Amino acid sequence: MPTGELLSPLLLLLLLSRPGLSISSAAVLISSPTSPPVLGRIGVSVKWQKEVFPGIEIDTSQPPIVFKSQLYTLTGVPPERQKIMVKGGILKDDADWSTLGVKDGQKLMMIGTADEIVKAPEKGPVFVEDLPEEEQVVALGHSAGLYNLGNTCYMNSTLQCLHSVPELKSALLSYPDTVRGNGIDQASHNLTLATRNTFGDLDQSVRPVAPLQFLQTLRKKYPQFAQQHNNVYMQQDAEECWTQLVYTLSQTLTSDSSESAVLPMKQLFGIDLVSRVHCAESGEESTETESVYSLKCHISQDVNHLHEGIKHGLKTELEKASPTLGRTAVYTRESRINELPRYLTVQFVRFFWKRESNQKAKILRKVDYPLELDVYEFCSDELKQKLQAPRQMLRDAENAKFGLKAHGKASSSKENEESSSSAGESSSMDIDKAESYLPKKQLTGVYDLVAVLTHKGRSADSGHYVGWVKQDDGKWIEFDDDNPNIRKEEDILKLSGGGDWHMAYICLYKARMAESKS
Amino acid sequence: MSPPENPSPAAPAEPSQPPPPAAAATGKGKKKDEKKDDDLSEEDLALKEQLELYVVRAQDADPGVQKLALESMRQEIRSATSSMTSVPKPLKFLRPHFGTLKSYFETMPESELKKYMADILSVLALTMSIEGERESLKYRLLGSEGDIGSWGHEYVRNLAGEIAQEFQKRQDDDLPIDALMELVQQIISFHMKHNAEPEAVDLLMEVEDLDLLVEHVDATNYKRACLYLCSSSNFLPPPDDSLALDIAYTIYLKFGDLASALRIALKLEKSLQYVKQVYTATDDLLLKKQFSYLIARHGLVMEIDDEIAADDNDKEVLQEIVNNTKLSEGYSTLARDIEVMEPKSPEDIYKVHLIDGRGASSSLDSARQNLAATFVNAFVNAGFGQDKLMTAPSDSSSSGSSGNWLFKNKEHGKASAAASLGMILLWDTDSGLAQLDKYLHSNDTHVVAGALLGIGIVTCGVKSDCDPAFAILMEYIGKDDSNIRIGAILGLGIAYAGSQKEELKMHLSAVLGDSQSPLEVLVFSAIALGLVFVGSCNEEIAQSIIFALMERSEAELAEPIIRLLPVALGLLYLGKQDSVEATAEVSKTFDEKIGKYCDVTLMSLAYAGTGNVLKVQKLLGICSQHLEKGETHQGPAVLGIALIAMAEELGAEMAVRSLERLLQYGEQNIRRAVPLALGILCISNPKVNVMDTLSRLSHDADADVSMAAIISLGLIGAGTNNARIAGMLHNLSSYYYKEAAHLFCVRIAQGLVHLGKGLLTLSPYHSDRFLLSPMALGGLVTVLHACLDMKSTILGKYHYILYIIVLAMQPRMLLTVDEDLKPLSVPVRVGQAVDVVGQAGRPKTITGFQTHSTPVLLAAGERAELATEKYIPLTPVLEGFVILKKNPEYHEE
Repeated sequence: MPTGELLSPLLLLLLLSRPGLSISSAAVLISSPTSPPVLGRIGVSVKWQKEVFPGIEIDTSQPPIVFKSQLYTLTGVPPERQKIMVKGGILKDDADWSTLGVKDGQKLMMIGTADEIVKAPEKGPVFVEDLPEEEQVVALGHSAGLYNLGNTCYMNSTLQCLHSVPELKSALLSYPDTVRGNGIDQASHNLTLATRNTFGDLDQSVRPVAPLQFLQTLRKKYPQFAQQHNNVYMQQDAEECWTQLVYTLSQTLTSDSSESAVLPMKQLFGIDLVSRVHCAESGEESTETESVYSLKCHISQDVNHLHEGIKHGLKTELEKASPTLGRTAVYTRESRINELPRYLTVQFVRFFWKRESNQKAKILRKVDYPLELDVYEFCSDELKQKLQAPRQMLRDAENAKFGLKAHGKASSSKENEESSSSAGESSSMDIDKAESYLPKKQLTGVYDLVAVLTHKGRSADSGHYVGWVKQDDGKWIEFDDDNPNIRKEEDILKLSGGGDWHMAYICLYKARMAESKS
Repeated sequence: MSPPENPSPAAPAEPSQPPPPAAAATGKGKKKDEKKDDDLSEEDLALKEQLELYVVRAQDADPGVQKLALESMRQEIRSATSSMTSVPKPLKFLRPHFGTLKSYFETMPESELKKYMADILSVLALTMSIEGERESLKYRLLGSEGDIGSWGHEYVRNLAGEIAQEFQKRQDDDLPIDALMELVQQIISFHMKHNAEPEAVDLLMEVEDLDLLVEHVDATNYKRACLYLCSSSNFLPPPDDSLALDIAYTIYLKFGDLASALRIALKLEKSLQYVKQVYTATDDLLLKKQFSYLIARHGLVMEIDDEIAADDNDKEVLQEIVNNTKLSEGYSTLARDIEVMEPKSPEDIYKVHLIDGRGASSSLDSARQNLAATFVNAFVNAGFGQDKLMTAPSDSSSSGSSGNWLFKNKEHGKASAAASLGMILLWDTDSGLAQLDKYLHSNDTHVVAGALLGIGIVTCGVKSDCDPAFAILMEYIGKDDSNIRIGAILGLGIAYAGSQKEELKMHLSAVLGDSQSPLEVLVFSAIALGLVFVGSCNEEIAQSIIFALMERSEAELAEPIIRLLPVALGLLYLGKQDSVEATAEVSKTFDEKIGKYCDVTLMSLAYAGTGNVLKVQKLLGICSQHLEKGETHQGPAVLGIALIAMAEELGAEMAVRSLERLLQYGEQNIRRAVPLALGILCISNPKVNVMDTLSRLSHDADADVSMAAIISLGLIGAGTNNARIAGMLHNLSSYYYKEAAHLFCVRIAQGLVHLGKGLLTLSPYHSDRFLLSPMALGGLVTVLHACLDMKSTILGKYHYILYIIVLAMQPRMLLTVDEDLKPLSVPVRVGQAVDVVGQAGRPKTITGFQTHSTPVLLAAGERAELATEKYIPLTPVLEGFVILKKNPEYHEE
C-alpha cells in the first residue's frame, strides 16, 4: 500500500513546509519507501481561478492526493475541496495517472475555494406565505372586505366604518353570549352578537367575509331592511342602518361597573346637546337637553363647508303653540354641545323627501369637510371652560413637536412661536387654578377624520355605498364590498360632492386627546 | 401579290386588323378615324406613312427591297425604344400591320431575310402579341440570334417573362430546352451588365439554373446579386432557398469575400463543412480570427483542427475565440465604457418609492417577492460579476452577505437564488466556478441544486478545453435527490446547448430510459438533451424521448410538466422542416391526451424560423377549430405561428395582424397564448403597436392572459431599458400589488426589460437579422412553452426554467478591436437600417444616423458603419466583435 494514500494532508503540509524543501522533492521523499516501478514525471501547468501556476511536476507513481497536496500549498484550497479537471471528469483521489492520459505540458484546471461554506442561518426568515391566515392580515396592512349579499352595500359600508373603532371592537369582545339584563330583547341581543362575530371574522380573514348572520339578524330586528321590490331586497339608506345599529348597540352594550375598561356607547358616540328655545315674539325662553348620536350637517344654498352646515343644523326654527300668546308662534332653537363623544359622527343631510317624485332626492352640492375638525365653537360655555386646559396641553404638545422639527429655522418663525406660547401660558394659568384634578386623557374638541361613508347615485335607496377607512399607518382603504383598495389622503378629500362621484354621507371623526404630562 | 387583299389561312382574320372594320364602320366611325389621324403631328404622320411603306415593301418579291425595308424598319424601332414611358411610336404605327407581317412571314422561304423578319416580329410582339401566346419568344427563337440588348430593356424583360412561361410548359411536356437556355444565357449576361441583377436572378430561378449566375457575376455586381439571392431565399420554398444560398456562397467564395461567405455557410445545412471551406480559403490569420468571432456569436461548436490553422499557437488563439472565452472581457469593456458597472438592486428597478403608500409595508419577507427579487437581480446584473444581493461583500454584519440573501428564499427558491450567481457571473467561468464552488458543499439540497444549475449558466456559450462544467455536473447526475439531479441535468443542458456532445447523449438517455426516474427528472433530461442536440435530427434521442413518452401512465400524462417532453422532441428538429416527418408520424400514435399536442409542437418547432407560409396557414386552421374540453394543443399552435413567421419582417407583421384576429375571435386557450406569441415575434424589439396590444391585454379579465401579456411586455422590451414599457410595468406593479402571481410576473418582466442594464438582447437573430442561432431559439421556445402553463411552472416550483433564457442572452454591442484584439475606439455611424435589396448603385444603408465612438450599443433594426476611412473592417456586418485593419491607402490630412 502506498504511503501517500494514508498521509493526511496535514502531515504532508508539515512535510512540505519544511524549509528548503521543494515540492517535488517532498513527493520523492514520501515515495521513497515504496519503490515504484516507473518513475514518471510530468510537468503540467495548473489554472486556478485567474491564476496559472506553470511547471508543476506530477509524480505519476504517486496517487493524485499527493498532487493535490502540492496544489494545497500553492492555493490554500484543501485537497478534499479541490476539483481537478482531467479527461472524462474530475480527478479522483485513488485514480491511476497512467490511465488518465495526462501529457507533459498539459494545462490542467483546478476549481475550488478555501472560502467558508455557506451555512443556513440559525433562524430562517419567516415568510408571509407561511403564516396562518390571521397573521397574514397584519402583513397585508388592512382587514378583509365584505361580500355584497344583494344590495347590501349600505350595510357593508356601515360595518366597515364602525369596524374602524377599536373601542367598539373591544366592547363587543367582552359581550357575553347570553342575554344580560332584562331590558334587552332577543333580537337586539342577536344583532349585537352578529356584529361581534362579523367584526371577529373581519379581523381574522384575508379573504372577504360574507356577513350572512348579521344581515339576517338585522332584518329580523329591523324589518324595514327586508323590504323587497320585484322579489329582490331593496337598497337601503346607510344612515338609517348606521343609526339603528348604533342605537341597538347602545342598548346592549351598557357598561357594567365590573368592566371599567369598556366604554359605554354613550361615551363613544353620544353627543349631549343643550338647546335654548326662544320665541322672539313672546320672549319666552326655555332650555332642553337631549342626547343624540350624530350631528347633522344641513345643506342649503349658502353652505359650502362642514362647519357652516353643522352651525346651520344646530339652529332650527320651529312652530309650536305658545302658551303666552295662545297661538302657534315661531321659536328658534339653538343647540350647543354639552358633552363630546370619543367618536363624533357627522351626517350630511343630503337626502330630502321630494313630494313631487315621491322619493328621497339627493342634494349634490359640494360641501368640503376637513381632515381635522374643531367643534369648540359649537360647545356650550360650560364645556368650553372644561376644554380649555386640555386644548392648551394639546397645543403645547404640538408646538413642542413642531419646535423640534423647526429647530434651526429662521428666527422669525421662532419668534412667532414664542409669542403664541407665551399667550397660551397666560391663559393656561387661569385654568390651572380652576381645574384641580386632571384625568390622564382628555377630550379637546379637536377631531381627526377616520372614516367616511360615501354614496354614489341619485337617491338614497339606489346607487352604491362605500366605506373609506383610515388605517393606523395613515393609509386609507376604500372598502368597496369585497374589494379593498388602497387610497391616498387626497382621494378622501375629493369625496366632498358636487358631481356624480362618491360623496360623503357620514363622516366619522375621532377625538384627539390631550395627555397630561403629570 | 399583296397580302392585305389576300390574307393567308395561317393567320386568321385578326380582330385587330384595322382596314376591314374601318371600311365597314359607319360614317361616324370613319370620322373618328380621321380625327385620330388629324391629331398626329406632321412628323408623326410622315413616320406613319414611312412605316406603312416599309410594311408593303417588306412583302415585296425582291429580296433586295425586302432587306432594305426590314433594315429601315429595324432602324426606326431601335432608335425609338429609348422612351420607357409610352409605347414607342414606330411600334404604335406598326400595330395594324402586325397580322399582315405575321402571315407574310409564314409564307417566306427559309433565308437570312426570314430571320430578319422574325427579329422584327419578335419586337413587334412585345406590344401586340395576345397575352399568353409568347409570340415574342417564338419569333426570337426563329430569328437571327443577334445582340439581344440592342432592342432595349423592355424587350429583354418581356422576353424573360415569356421564357419563364415557356420553360414551365416545356418542362411539363418534356420538350427540349436547349434553345431556351441559350437565350437565357444572353439575357443573363445582358442583365448583369445593366444593373438588373434581380431580373437575372429571377429568370434563373424560373428556369431552375441558378448555377449560371456564377459565370456572369463580376466584381462590380456580385454583392448586389448575392444580397438579392440571400433575401429572396427567405421567400423560396425548400429546397430552392438553400440552393439560392448555396449559389450566393459560391459567388462570395469566387470573389474572395470570405466573411460574407461565412455568414451564408452558417445558415446552410451542414454548416461545419462549409465553414471549414471558408477557413481554408485564406491564409490570413486575422481574417480567421474574425471568422471565429462570428462563429462564437452564432454558437457553433467547432474544433479548430490542423486544416484550419497549421500553427499550434494560431490554433490556440482561434480556438479561444471560438470558445467565446473573450466574451466576458468584451462585455465588461462595453459596460465600463457606458459606465454601468455599478451594481443595481431590485429596488432600483422597482422604484417603489414612486408609488405612494403601496410599498412593501410589512417588515416580513414574502418568499415569492424575494424570489422575484432574486430573478430581477440576476437579470439586471447579468454578466457584470457583481450585484447587491449575492456577491456583495459579507463583511457587513447586517444583511447583504450572499449567505443571507440565499436563505431569504424558501426551499426551491434557494435553488434559483444560488443559480442566480451563475447569471451574475455569466460567461466569466474562472471566477464564476470559483464562487459557485462553495455552495456545492452546502448540506441544503436546494442550494446544491442551484449551484449546479449556476455552473451550467456560467459556462453557457463558453467552452473550455478542460470541460469543467461537464466534469463537475456529471458527478451529481446520478445522485438520489431529485432536486440535485435536476440542477445538474439542466446545468448540462444549458452549458452544452448545441454542442451535440456524445457523452451527454449516453448519460442523459440512460436517465430517460430508466423507469425509476421521477417524472420531473425525466422531463428535464429530455429538455437538456433537446437543447444539447438542438436541430440535430438525432434519431436515437428522438427514439428515447418517444419511448419515455409512451411509457407514461395516464396520471403522469396529466401532469402539466409533461408538456415539455414534446418540446424536447421538437428541439431536436428545430428548423429542420421535413426531417421531422418520420417522428411526427410516430407521435400521432401517442395517447390522445398528448398526441395532438405533440404533433402541433413538433410541426411548429420544425418549421420555426423558416417563414413557411403554408405551415402558418395550417396552424391558423388549427386555431379556428372548436375544441373539445381538455385539449390544449392550440396554445403551441399559436406559438408556432409566431415561431415560423418571425423569420422575416414582412411575415412577422402579417403574423401580428393574424394574432390580433385570434385575440378577437379565438377561444380562451388561444387568447392565453397570443401574448406570448407576440412576445417572441418582437423579442427585444419593442414595436409600439405590439406594446399597446400587450398593455391592453395586461389588464385582461382572464388572469392567464394578463400574466402572459405582462411577461411578454418584458420579452419585447428585453434588454432595451425602454422607458415606456418600464412605465407600464411600474403602473402594473401598483395595479396588481395584491395579486401575488401577477406581481411576480411584473417583477420578472421588469427584470427582463433591464436585462444586463440594457446591454443585452434576447433576439435569436444576429448578423443583420440574417442568421438564426438555434440555441437561442431553443432556449426561448422552452421558456415560452413553460409559460403556456405558468401556474404549474414558473409560478410553481419550476421557476428556474426561466434561467434557460440565458441561451438567448447576447450583448447587443459593436466592439471594434485592433489587430492584436485589443479594444479600439473608432467613430461609427449608427442608424436605422435601410433595406437596399434590389436597389441599383450604392444606396445608403442607414438613415437618421448618429455618430458614436465604439464600443456602442445597437438596437433592434439598427445598423452601424465605420465613420472613418482609417480602418477597414474585416466583416461587412458590424456587430459584436469586429477586427479593424489599418487602411493602407489612408492618408492623414
